[in-house]
Amino acid sequence: MKKLLSLLLAATLLLGGCGKSPNASSTGGTAGGAGKKITVALLPKSKGNAYFISCKAGAEKAARTLGVDLLFDGPTESDPAKQNEIVENWIALGVDVIAAACENKEGISTALRKAQSKGIKVITYDADALPDARSFFVNQATPEGIAFTLADEAARLTHSEGEIAMILATLTAANQQEWRKYIEARLAEKYPKIKLVAVRPCDDLKDKAQAEATALLSAYPNLKLLMNICSPAVPGAAEAVKQAGKTGKVKVIGLGLPSENRRYVKDGVTDSVILWKTEDLGALTVDAAVALVKGTLKPGDQSFKATTLGGATFEIKGDNLLLGKPFIFNKENIDQFNF
Amino acid sequence: MKPQLKSLLLRHETALLLVVAIEWFGFNAIGPRFGTLDNNFDILRHTVEIGLLALAMTPIILTGGIDLSVGSLLGLCAILFGKLWRDAGFSPAMAGACTLAIGGVAGGLNASLITVLRLPPLIVTLGTYSLFRGLAEAITRGADTFTNFPGSFLMLGQERWLGLPTQAWVFCAVAAAIWLLVHRTTFGRSFRAIGFAPEGARYAGLPVDRRIAMVYVVGGLIAALAAIIYTARLGQAKADAGTGYELFAITAVVLGGTSIFGGVGSVHGTLLGVAAIAVLNNGLVHARQPREAAGMLTGALLLLALSASVAPKVWASWRSRHRPSPSPARSS
Amino acid sequence: MSRYFRELSVGAALLLVWLALAVFAPGFYQPQPLLSLATREAPTLVVACGMALVIICRQIDISVGSQFAVCSVAAGLLATLNWPTALVALAAVAFGAVFGAINGALVAGLRLPSIVVTLATMVTWREGLRWQRQGAFVNLPDRLQWFGLSQSAGQGLLVGLALLVLVALAIAMKYLAAGRFVYAVGSDAEAARLAGIRPQWVTFNTFVLLGALTGLAAMMNVAQSPQVDPKSGTGLELKAIAAVVVGGVAISGGRGTLVGVFVGLLLLACVAPALTHLHVEAYWEKAIQGAIILLAVVADGIRTRRGGRSENV
Repeated sequence: MKKLLSLLLAATLLLGGCGKSPNASSTGGTAGGAGKKITVALLPKSKGNAYFISCKAGAEKAARTLGVDLLFDGPTESDPAKQNEIVENWIALGVDVIAAACENKEGISTALRKAQSKGIKVITYDADALPDARSFFVNQATPEGIAFTLADEAARLTHSEGEIAMILATLTAANQQEWRKYIEARLAEKYPKIKLVAVRPCDDLKDKAQAEATALLSAYPNLKLLMNICSPAVPGAAEAVKQAGKTGKVKVIGLGLPSENRRYVKDGVTDSVILWKTEDLGALTVDAAVALVKGTLKPGDQSFKATTLGGATFEIKGDNLLLGKPFIFNKENIDQFNF
Repeated sequence: MKPQLKSLLLRHETALLLVVAIEWFGFNAIGPRFGTLDNNFDILRHTVEIGLLALAMTPIILTGGIDLSVGSLLGLCAILFGKLWRDAGFSPAMAGACTLAIGGVAGGLNASLITVLRLPPLIVTLGTYSLFRGLAEAITRGADTFTNFPGSFLMLGQERWLGLPTQAWVFCAVAAAIWLLVHRTTFGRSFRAIGFAPEGARYAGLPVDRRIAMVYVVGGLIAALAAIIYTARLGQAKADAGTGYELFAITAVVLGGTSIFGGVGSVHGTLLGVAAIAVLNNGLVHARQPREAAGMLTGALLLLALSASVAPKVWASWRSRHRPSPSPARSS
Repeated sequence: MSRYFRELSVGAALLLVWLALAVFAPGFYQPQPLLSLATREAPTLVVACGMALVIICRQIDISVGSQFAVCSVAAGLLATLNWPTALVALAAVAFGAVFGAINGALVAGLRLPSIVVTLATMVTWREGLRWQRQGAFVNLPDRLQWFGLSQSAGQGLLVGLALLVLVALAIAMKYLAAGRFVYAVGSDAEAARLAGIRPQWVTFNTFVLLGALTGLAAMMNVAQSPQVDPKSGTGLELKAIAAVVVGGVAISGGRGTLVGVFVGLLLLACVAPALTHLHVEAYWEKAIQGAIILLAVVADGIRTRRGGRSENV
């Protein structure tokens, strides 16, 4: 009896929903026409991540300059399906363009293709989807560029030989795998005397990274360098090196935020923190997203002149819109940045 | 008011139905595109796998047990499905059948530890929660993912069939089957008896161990099915699939009025619980609220629902303790 | 079989692991890394002790991870406001106690099932914290690390503190009436009530104690590094419960010792560093931990079944 009631209610709701298709319904918003503000939906890999928060800061500034609406939402848990669900929510909301940093390349492409089929423009930033699921990838630096910078820094600091170890976020994250692949290739090709002896995950937790680094330091007494390609791991590993009394003997480098690593860089525990100007990445993403909607950025373009970021022109390689090269933060310049 | 109507109105499920309706109409008013068919199909598609796990969890909790491993089992089954298809060359149908079998076997592992060795379900499934996820990570070495499934398979998760999303039909079939099992068969009655008084059920001649084993094996089968649908929806199978789903399932079941101690509960309550949480999650997006609010509100809703169901008893016992007891019979 | 069979067998397993490490990876036995490892695990031990009491009392608390995170961040923020260290520590413990009291009131007062109550509070505190912090670390003033002492002194202090909590609680459980009440309520609440114990009050207090210990553990964690990660404490409840279960505390209540919890925690905590030292790939970690939990519980089950007693939940 009650089940019947529930079924009836569900049916009524669905039928009620049927009658309610809005006119511009599932097609994406018209290209900024006639007073309707363009809505840009920005998807980070995870919401509570300081890296993406700083991207968001740049994105918000650009959105204000360009006069568009910015929606920012991301998964709070690690379920891979969450990003898809958010994208599908946005399709239902009818945004104009989706800018996504993709946790699962293939998985998210399913949802992004669907968005494209409904007339919503799609670009990716920070971590790409499959090429047919988006128009452009705003690349802060190619994965090869990032990996090579890391590998080259490692070689510089270890004088191209010795044992190094890597700490990453999880063994399953797509961009982590990609960086690892390119790092290993670069090391094999240019620095054969460097041995990558261990790769440990830290589950994106600083404390766990510290524990892993401590174990690595004692398990591999000849270790010369710790490479951390996950941002909470850089301060975690640095603290481990400091507490083990191996400052200077074991070098620490990684991809991280200047603000989290400032004290270790100044104390000489961490040598280089590699990143890029995250605010610029966010701003360029929004800029390109809006241009895509307006039609000023088209597939096949060779360069892109931004409206924000001082009107700079950015190179487009294929369908990769390049922010530039990875930036190395070290003792000399880290004070200039506060993100 | 007629007594039957009154008891119907005062039931937990009716209150929950009201909550779902308030949520739905509320969000409909706030968000212009919440009420569209597309969005409601989205809600449906996003909720099928978790809904299946909640359905699997209901008979288990009715018997007084619990299964924390269903989310991890989903992940394990997803990657095994991918592996059978990609590396062993099975067709999706064949791989799917094998995956279901594997899910049943995994459920059987839980079942045998619980019934043969008489171990507490909470602890057994805590162990298998780590074990299954660990096996998934070990088999894929964490990094391996399976994708590029054929379109005919992806249709299961991404397309529509006869007007509804394909997986919705599967969900309805499973929901109907579980409802019938729990509410219209002797098996179902025995689940409640076992949850209510396991020793009593044993003395009454019920094959308690076999029934308990049954609910866990069925749970495993359903988790495997959910894994296949998940893979079809995403187009990708990874070792961390289904992380955190078991808690969602438990929340939905308890929200639906099933007692965690067993013996009391209903499948339609679970369905309403799933609906309440799903509509809340989706609606908050349309109301442009931050995602974290959904979690907090769900927690609050859960506590409210629990308190509401317990309040009458606590009130009654408080009153009986503080009311002056009638003096023993005196010849007056 | 001996009354302390579980504690002894887990201890034996631990010795085996240590032996294997001594043979295959003697590098494990260096004083500084071992002290660092012990210091890292000290907060978990403190929480596990509190969890043991709650589980002996036939309840469970899966919200300790979220409590830990909130207390850590709160302590960090208070420190940046220049509160004296002692006050910060007290505040952390107080916050934890409040969280514990909330759980306890709902479980003991309203008679709600603890697994669901703590599920709800876990999600609420966690999401609330995420909303507030958005992932940002809290940068701590220098004077807070190691409570202003040198590193070795600080590490020794933290490890010592954890052991002190362990010993104090173990003694209390064995020799104080309050401790015996916990066992009584856990094995048969009705009998305890008839014997004059107030089961709801005892239950409430175990939750408050667990909360306070979690706050203490959070402070111990904050004192170990110059930054607080709002994601710290993730997985803490699992670690604590696993240690308690492996250590022989029955989830059906009324049984178990803190010594067992200690040994169980040591065993589980050694898995990850042992894998690193033995050069085994990281992706085996979860599978091995799950296997240890299952083995411990299966061994229990076989033993009781042979002994003819039924251990139904």
